Amino acid sequence: MARFNDLDGKTAPTRVAVVAAGVISPLGFGLDETLAALRANQDCISPVTRFDVEKCRCKTAGQISDDLLSGRRNGRKTERLHRATRMITAVFEELFGQDPGFKPELTVIGTTSGGMSFGEDYYRALHRHRGLRHSPGWIANYPPQKPVIDAQDAFGISAPCQIIANACASGTNAIGHAFECVRSGKCKRVLTGGYDALSELVFIGFDSLQAATPEKCRPFDRDRSGMVLGEGAALFALENLESARARGARVLGEIIGYGISTDNHHLTQPDPSGSGPRRAMEQALQSAGSSADEIDYINAHGTATTFNDAAEGKAIAELFGGVPISSTKSMMGHSLGAAGAIEAAVCLLALQAQFLPPNINFRNPDHDLDLNIVPNESREAKIDIALSNSFGFGGTNASILIQKLAA
Amino acid sequence: MSLRIAGMGWVTPLGRGIDKVWDRLLRGDEAPVQPISDSVSDKAYSALRVPADALKDLPPHPRLRRASAISGFAAAAGIDALAEARSTIGEIDAERMALVFAVSNGGVVYTKRFYHNVVESGAQSASPLLFPETVFNAPASHLAAILGITGASYTLVGDGAVGVLAIEMASHLLDNEALDFCLVVATEEADWLLCDAYHKWRLLKSEPPIEPFHRPPRGMILSEGAGAVLLARQGAVEIDAIDLGGNFCRRRDANALVRRILHSLADEQACIVGSANGTFIDLAERNAIERELPSALVYSAKPALGESVGASALWQVITGVQALRTRRLPPLLHSDPETGLRFSTPGELSFKKVIILSCGLNQQVAGLRLSI
Repeated sequence: MARFNDLDGKTAPTRVAVVAAGVISPLGFGLDETLAALRANQDCISPVTRFDVEKCRCKTAGQISDDLLSGRRNGRKTERLHRATRMITAVFEELFGQDPGFKPELTVIGTTSGGMSFGEDYYRALHRHRGLRHSPGWIANYPPQKPVIDAQDAFGISAPCQIIANACASGTNAIGHAFECVRSGKCKRVLTGGYDALSELVFIGFDSLQAATPEKCRPFDRDRSGMVLGEGAALFALENLESARARGARVLGEIIGYGISTDNHHLTQPDPSGSGPRRAMEQALQSAGSSADEIDYINAHGTATTFNDAAEGKAIAELFGGVPISSTKSMMGHSLGAAGAIEAAVCLLALQAQFLPPNINFRNPDHDLDLNIVPNESREAKIDIALSNSFGFGGTNASILIQKLAA
Repeated sequence: MSLRIAGMGWVTPLGRGIDKVWDRLLRGDEAPVQPISDSVSDKAYSALRVPADALKDLPPHPRLRRASAISGFAAAAGIDALAEARSTIGEIDAERMALVFAVSNGGVVYTKRFYHNVVESGAQSASPLLFPETVFNAPASHLAAILGITGASYTLVGDGAVGVLAIEMASHLLDNEALDFCLVVATEEADWLLCDAYHKWRLLKSEPPIEPFHRPPRGMILSEGAGAVLLARQGAVEIDAIDLGGNFCRRRDANALVRRILHSLADEQACIVGSANGTFIDLAERNAIERELPSALVYSAKPALGESVGASALWQVITGVQALRTRRLPPLLHSDPETGLRFSTPGELSFKKVIILSCGLNQQVAGLRLSI
């Protein structure tokens, strides 16, 4: 499919640089901690502490300690703000610490549930007919745009916010759309990424679908039994490469391709043929002008559910053959709207540090999937281009390609 | 690139169908309020609901069998927009169409029901059938399946301005020559829980009417429904400017933001379809209009249709397009005649542009301009 500034068109494509990034996830706060955890193959899943999970099948999640969110610059109204706002604000701190001169014209952020836990607090208080003193604050801070707008305000930014809620593909869709906004010349600088904070409603929802596992999360394993949820945020400052170089900005990497497709098979299950993921990956390659054999690493969506891994694995095997793949959700859980953004940060780190992040808890290959998994331990590798996949409820599929910038 | 409107559809408390609802607005009709209650509280509210018969001829589809009202509204509006477009431009290839949804509160009815079961009886009683319908992009997924859209589909979440943000995203998608159309759908469903939330936020009025531009503001009444516009490169009405605006963190800051947007869109031949709904928004719009375009005719459909939050900006756009097509504006209901603004009155008018000002209740402001 023809894309903006297609390579066979008359105009050379505008290159899109990542000039700053920030991340918070169960792996840690910041790019350095995240890199260390990835290299050390850490399992960052722990028993859920934020709410009661006694009656759930799954009792674990990837969680961010509140200690990581306190004591940082959190704007003027720290206590009233949702945890998601504090996560985003913490990530802003890292990102703008790298590039204080970055002024976005547009912000494109993915999420699935915004300030959901405030909605839960509100409903529980209603149900018990008590404690509604805080309700205006809960209500005002519940909408998905609010954490982003508040965090922006704390850093003196008022860029318009497009909040994409494409389920678990949201973060990758946000980065992809932001990439296209810069590549098309519509914007020079766009702030993008994704966030989601763990919430009881969503946790119980996945538990009710039996998509969450009481066991370890084992993506692409023969004995995989489902996902473990997580939380976090990751943000990226995208800029026209020329403009970034002109102002002397440090370039961490380059987004080079994006693909999006919709799979109408079922609201919660992918088409078993893998056709939806395949179209997204093919589009990303075409958009980048790259071929499948140029891809050195795939960070898979890899939720460890039977259906996702089968469909995604089939599409990857058909398109990419033996390219090394891993699902880092095995280490930190599935952070839904943040997942694509956090995994883009993982890819960026893999490109910078030249290593393959691991797919931990991997015991037995699934012989129906012809995949080159990176089992259990990270390892050194030469990586120039990485592909990151995210697929979600509603049949949304998104893939992005990230490239190491040549020196 | 020229961004044009090729077809429209809406489902509102005044019924379904572009011409039918428009005629009612021109007549000065306002939708009746209905009481809305919930077992969780004795308190009752009023809301403007979509009439029960509005979706009666919606073609059956497996995806809509268990879906919430919000998905039905969206499907009806989207199908109607395509039908209107087909009547002038012929067949539409779903493979060359993208979908952009705008919502604010999303599937609140099922979300509340799902969580109520959890609170009432514990996690083991959570429904795996309800949960997928609570996801923001469930209505978009259903409509994509109904229409056979397999390419780009986005759901944007925001406040009353989210419809303008969605149209801007669609305009960007249509820069891609592989696409001929982008269907933008905005949808919302009313629920007691939302009424209670907006009441506690001191934005809700207990009884009609909605009185735009009154000082002090007296509050709004929630409504529900959907609007859809099919964007293309051909069509009589053009979206000739979009201003994505920005965000306000304090209500008083909305004034400057609305004024800046109106300044950027101002045109002496334009009338204004605003978002005045009986809340603080009205003051921001009034100040901006008085300073930037004091002679413009001003209209808001919210006294007649209610505040549909996520769907509201698309209703404004549809109202603006109809105003350009018919050269008429409906009468502004229940306004304060002392404001000094020029309110719309019945009769043929000569404007060639319409400015859509969309100020949300939760910090987002944006606008666009239509021309014929």
